[in-house]
Amino acid sequence: MAKTIMVVDDSASLRQVVAIALKGAGYDVVEGSDGKDALTKLDGRKIHLIVSDVNMPNMDGISFVKAVKANPNYKFTPVVMLTTENQEGKMMEGKAAGAKAWIVKPFKPPELLDAVSRLVLP
Amino acid sequence: MDENTLTIDGEFGIYRVAELKPQILAHVIDIDEPALALGNVTEIDAAGLQLLLFARREAANLGKRLRIGSASPAVEEVLHVAGLSAEALEEAVP
Amino acid sequence: MNEYEQAQQTFFEESRDMLRQIEDALLALESNTHDDETLNGLFRAAHTIKGSAGLFGFDRIGSFTHEVETVLDRLRAGEIALNGDLAALLLESGDHIGHLLAETADGSDQPETDAAGAALKSRLLAWCPSPGIGKVAVSTPSAPAVASPERPWHIAVDFGPSIFRDGMDPLSFIRYLGTKGDVIGVTTRIDAMPAADAFDPEVCHLGFDILLEAQCTKADLTAVFDFVKDDCELRITAPDAEVERWIGVLQGMPAHGKRIGEMLVNCGAVTQHELTRALSTQQDTDGVAPPIGALLVAQNSVPDQVLQVAVTRQRDQRTEESRFIRVQADKLDSLITLVGELVIAGAGANLLARRAGEPRLLESTQVITDLVEEIRNGALQMRMVQIGETFNRFRRVVRDVSRELGKEIDLEISGADTELDKSVVEKIADPLMHLVRNAMDHGIEMPDVRTARGKAPGGLMRLNAFHDSGSIVIEVIDDGRGLDRDRILQKAWERGQVPANTELPDDEVFDLIFTAGFSTAEKVTSLSGRGVGMDVVRRNIEALRGTVKLSSRPGEGTVVSIRLPLTLAIIDGFLVSVGPASYVVPLDMVVECIELPENTPNGASYLNLRGEVLPFLRLRDVFGIEAPPPVHHNVVVVRNGTSHAGLVVDRLMGEFQTVIKPLGKLFRNLQGIGGSTILGTGEVALILDVQALIDSATRNAARQDGTTTREHTAESAFGDAATSSTEN
Repeated sequence: MAKTIMVVDDSASLRQVVAIALKGAGYDVVEGSDGKDALTKLDGRKIHLIVSDVNMPNMDGISFVKAVKANPNYKFTPVVMLTTENQEGKMMEGKAAGAKAWIVKPFKPPELLDAVSRLVLP
Repeated sequence: MDENTLTIDGEFGIYRVAELKPQILAHVIDIDEPALALGNVTEIDAAGLQLLLFARREAANLGKRLRIGSASPAVEEVLHVAGLSAEALEEAVP
Repeated sequence: MNEYEQAQQTFFEESRDMLRQIEDALLALESNTHDDETLNGLFRAAHTIKGSAGLFGFDRIGSFTHEVETVLDRLRAGEIALNGDLAALLLESGDHIGHLLAETADGSDQPETDAAGAALKSRLLAWCPSPGIGKVAVSTPSAPAVASPERPWHIAVDFGPSIFRDGMDPLSFIRYLGTKGDVIGVTTRIDAMPAADAFDPEVCHLGFDILLEAQCTKADLTAVFDFVKDDCELRITAPDAEVERWIGVLQGMPAHGKRIGEMLVNCGAVTQHELTRALSTQQDTDGVAPPIGALLVAQNSVPDQVLQVAVTRQRDQRTEESRFIRVQADKLDSLITLVGELVIAGAGANLLARRAGEPRLLESTQVITDLVEEIRNGALQMRMVQIGETFNRFRRVVRDVSRELGKEIDLEISGADTELDKSVVEKIADPLMHLVRNAMDHGIEMPDVRTARGKAPGGLMRLNAFHDSGSIVIEVIDDGRGLDRDRILQKAWERGQVPANTELPDDEVFDLIFTAGFSTAEKVTSLSGRGVGMDVVRRNIEALRGTVKLSSRPGEGTVVSIRLPLTLAIIDGFLVSVGPASYVVPLDMVVECIELPENTPNGASYLNLRGEVLPFLRLRDVFGIEAPPPVHHNVVVVRNGTSHAGLVVDRLMGEFQTVIKPLGKLFRNLQGIGGSTILGTGEVALILDVQALIDSATRNAARQDGTTTREHTAESAFGDAATSSTEN
């Protein structure tokens, strides 16, 4: 059974590119346009990995991770955060919130796939 | 399935190990020839694997052998990655 | 489309046929599962694809098909039976190979396809029990019992307690490793697991010992665990070959001002993370802190033997440091240029002094000339470097390539302390690389072939260097099958390079290999044998004013000798003139000067020198000089290596030092000329390319010897070439 990855980013084009790469590699993909939207998309379904941006409208990545980790059904879901290099402070905050893996933007689809596949193979 | 077999269905991972540990431990302690049926396990992760190894160790401490009655492909795969197999798991701990 | 591309096309067509066969066979087997012949055909088809893909270096196709082949092999052996699931998986795998073929043919490799392949691969693996693992005890803390002749990487990792709760699955890292290489053994450890009451199943107590065969560095493997680097204990033990490589790098590394930790990180033996850890341990120690090297060994980050090499290297360098100062290369270059100008100016002053005829002036200019010569030699000496460092780089190449080819090849290096100019050293590495790869690929045979021929199964490559008559000679020697003289000649006949059925002496036959597009390789491999290269090798070497020659004995091996000038900047020259033009012959190459016998016929191209045949050229003819000839001609006898020739000139003007000025682009393709220089009088003199002239004289003499009926004179040999700029 294919593993499901949730991609949360306010950029529709980034979500698209990431989704194409992930689907091409054999994952199922659920998209969320921000933290709030993503929380509603969880909807009881099995999620094997979350890839989330940090800066997003409505609910940012850090609050989103905290909400995920507080939800008993999703608290053990691994989260990969997308960050830019100068967000050292955010990174510490994110780690404290429970996101242990980080990918630095800009990245290419193969780099994302490589990182994701260390945590979950399709 | 007879009463000597504990069946675990669905997910066997980090979300359920806290709930499963007492069941499995009780099974290993109470049953003379404890066995686990894992044929309907849909997903298993390293936490599940650890719990299996724990059950085996506890059984061995009591001088018992833990039998794996059945193993789903997901279980087989995880055992394979960990360098194990259902048969190896059943062997007495040295 | 060249031959190689045609062969590739054939491979793609052939592989598509094989895939159709696989599909047909699978569908047939679903209705009749015990048909041995069909099973066998199925296996064979996959085997063929894998084999050819490997030959072309299409590793994506090869490695994936290998997994399919392994499953088919078990199926054929009756160890597993074909059911619907397996048939579906194999059909999917066939489709995947089809995708890989299409992408490879278009050159459009998609990473998504690789990830899909990895997923299929893990499903295929489920049908193959990993060898020897079933019996491994779970709680054995020592290395797994699976031994491999390759001595793989050993990765011992203990995951931190919070890993599960963070959502990390230790198993996924092992699966990921499986996409980077072959995981040949895993042992799961639970030593740290507490007693039943205290055991919290959400807390991780797992440790793994993983044996991995992969072409990678320690840093690559460490990077796999990047996401959990603060939450795991990682100890990586490298294979012997990798440890040897670290030692090799350390030995070639300038240790100037470097700390032990830095050296170990730079050579790849220790990761930055491990060093940081050891440094913080060192800081936290009360009292006298142990040396960093000892801490690194204690935390299993580096084998002691590697540390000892680094320590020795640092000590050696410290003693060397007191005797060396480091100078920027461009400062040295400008010094050499200045010395060059000084040489020219000195020659000018000398000339004026001679014309003035004032004895005291002559005497003092002579002293200056002698001093200038010493300064020049000293300055050039400063740029001399040993070739050893260049040679040492090939240790890794030989190791990797021999593994890739499935051959056992040792590298032996001699003459590593032979010195040559830094600028030459930099430019010779590429041609050497090509020659070494070529020799390993085509020269040295597979171990079984060697054994059958009564040789040791392991091949031997040698790199050797020595000084010889003002040049440095670099030899690339293999003990392989040697060149097939007849095959080369046959091929040259076919290509029309040599008139059909014309015999040639061995060295001329071997020389054909250096012509563009020439290859006799029966098998085209990923490394070489595509008919490109040897001509480029020769061109690169000739651009350095060097020459390259081959000698070979069938069944015993091949020697490629590269002869290069020691420096590109300044030479001792011998000045001659023809009519109004002056020419410089590099003095190292001048053997003697004689007078041309008066009875020599005009069209002759060789003369009798004390009973030996000496081919000669009249420079007057070569360069088309029309000034009236003198009564007496002189012959300068020159040699390069073992070949001799005579150059007929008008006047001999004696020795002098000269600075080589490169020729402008316009003249670079001129044959027979290697450079230019400015005389003390301000005139320009051309520096002769002695090897080209010797070759031309030898060819003319051979033709005149009467083996062919065609008429050749000295004029046509160079008259044509000198105006042709497309030749090279």
